[in-house]
Amino acid sequence: MDFNPCMKHQAVRKAVRKFAETELGPIAHDIDRDARFPWEVIEKMRPLNYFGLQISQEYGGAALDSTSYAITVEELSRVCAAVGLCITVHNSVGAYPIEQFGTPEQKERLLPRLASGEWIGAFCLTEANAGSDAGAVETTAVYDDGDYIVNGTKVFVTNGGACDVALTFAITSPDDRRKGASVLIVEKSMPGFAVGELEDLSGMRANPVSSLFFEDVRVPEANLLGRLGDGLKIGLITLDTGRIGIAAQALGIAQSAFEAAVKYSKERQQFKKPISSFQTIQNYLADMATEIEAARLLLYRACALKDAGQPFSAAAAMAKLYCSTTASRVTNLAVQIHGGYGYSKEYDVERFFRDAKATEIYEGTSEIQRMVISRAVLAQLV
Amino acid sequence: MLKLVVCIKQVPMVSELPWDPNTRTLKRNLAEGMMNPACGHALEAALQIKKQHGGHIVAITMGPPMAEEVLYEAIAMGADRGVLLTDRSMAGGDTSATSYTLARAIKKECPDFDLVLCGCYTSDSETAQVGPQLAEELDVPGAAYIEHIAVKDGAFRLHRVTDNFLEVLEMDMPGLVTVTTHTYMPRYPSLEGLQSAFARSDIKILNARDLRLDPAKIGVNGSPTKIINVYSPTAAKKNIVMQGTAKKVVDEIFAKFADRISGAIGKDLKTHYHDNKACTK
Repeated sequence: MDFNPCMKHQAVRKAVRKFAETELGPIAHDIDRDARFPWEVIEKMRPLNYFGLQISQEYGGAALDSTSYAITVEELSRVCAAVGLCITVHNSVGAYPIEQFGTPEQKERLLPRLASGEWIGAFCLTEANAGSDAGAVETTAVYDDGDYIVNGTKVFVTNGGACDVALTFAITSPDDRRKGASVLIVEKSMPGFAVGELEDLSGMRANPVSSLFFEDVRVPEANLLGRLGDGLKIGLITLDTGRIGIAAQALGIAQSAFEAAVKYSKERQQFKKPISSFQTIQNYLADMATEIEAARLLLYRACALKDAGQPFSAAAAMAKLYCSTTASRVTNLAVQIHGGYGYSKEYDVERFFRDAKATEIYEGTSEIQRMVISRAVLAQLV
Repeated sequence: MLKLVVCIKQVPMVSELPWDPNTRTLKRNLAEGMMNPACGHALEAALQIKKQHGGHIVAITMGPPMAEEVLYEAIAMGADRGVLLTDRSMAGGDTSATSYTLARAIKKECPDFDLVLCGCYTSDSETAQVGPQLAEELDVPGAAYIEHIAVKDGAFRLHRVTDNFLEVLEMDMPGLVTVTTHTYMPRYPSLEGLQSAFARSDIKILNARDLRLDPAKIGVNGSPTKIINVYSPTAAKKNIVMQGTAKKVVDEIFAKFADRISGAIGKDLKTHYHDNKACTK
């Protein structure tokens, strides 16, 4: 068991960190304030394979291993979690299902565009009355003469305002709760597809999270992903991978808040001493460091299991649960260490604090992660 | 097709390095390595020449085994192959020993090179000597602090900015340039480039024996330069309160500090001030 990062992982981390600090660092605060998606940076990310992290090289992707993928998302999110979110969602739940379940024709047509970032992907499951309960989805896809006619509304769609292709979870057999859902590849150019207003969210404000409307959208049968009725299966497998990405994102946010807290605690003087000399602050920093290390190990273990072809569903859920909880705790303490300044929008820890909360909610809430973990535990232990 | 060699050094990421005030050295064991910034510009220059004229780029570095990382980075950016020179006997070499070692490696690995490109200096030592010394060792023309390289009629046309003058130089092939950090902004390595570099790169590792190096010319023993002391220069600020009338204070300032102010602004203020005073009398 080797806990040292290999040279490749170090090189990936340095390359992404340099890109993120140079290109996103100077604007991260402003794009959060203005809720602006930074297209100018996205343009620079396209040729560097940020949109094809794990897509095969034959389709123009980087074919990274999962640990390199996690490090990439972690380092982007360390500087700007909203862009880290765009990249992880595009890759893990936008492109990955097509690579995994797509027909040769679908891969040939879609993956090069997704890998190059010419098209940005989104995954639409959540609705007004369905989220954790995927079976309660109300969007329908009715077969009609070679097409599926899709009707419904999706909410809180990450990348929604920027997406060119949306993997859409819809009911194809209303009477069958288990096999009644399917995933359709909906393209932006299809008549009847519309993007709603951007959501006014607490964090991740630079990501164009929005509603998507489907009004009699005719989706060719060739755009059905996997088999009819495979929706739940595709959703669950896709979300396992997605959780690795969100865990990495949460870890990046926690790391950034921790670094800011250490720096500030050494600079801030109270009672004629830096506050880092007080035991209470030292205890906070020790807890933050310990939790971040534990979170990182859980995450990289889930990545290693996935790359080894072993079951990683529970490990990914543990990583997602622990990394996101850690992100919330660490950012909370980082704000506390900064005192009044931490509560001010002038300081980045305030943004980290808002961004961290989202990681406990999307890609399966912490409660759902516990359900996944407990099922695995109960199935194994007598 | 041009044969290009780029010399790259891995340097510590100084911005992240703590300075030990007791030993007056950088805590290098805590250092993350990175490609020396100017070497990145030299590599970018080579990549642009290759794109324009066709070429083959060999990246060479000398250092501990972990320095191999900058070769992978160079290959991810577009270099064709890498050569790592690593041997305990090479450690601690000064610029003379380094130039000798690099020259032997270039003669062995790319004897028919057209151009060797180096960064103009390294961020950890800033001597700017290795490039020019390497040109001497290779017995080829060398031009330092180059900002633009054009290839024309089998020769290089080079731009160098010195003291606000643009020099245009012509250099025969083969030759050597050192590249500044003003132009040739290095590209980011792509993630596919990094993945492929680590998956199937051609990196050759050579030691002192492979290069048949003269032990008297390498490492600490082969270095004529001896570092006597390394220290951090200190600058102290002190407030001085002058009291009295404006005339008295101004006279006092010039009496005490005219030399220093003159030095800073490049004018002989003492004479100037006293001459003006004489005129107003």
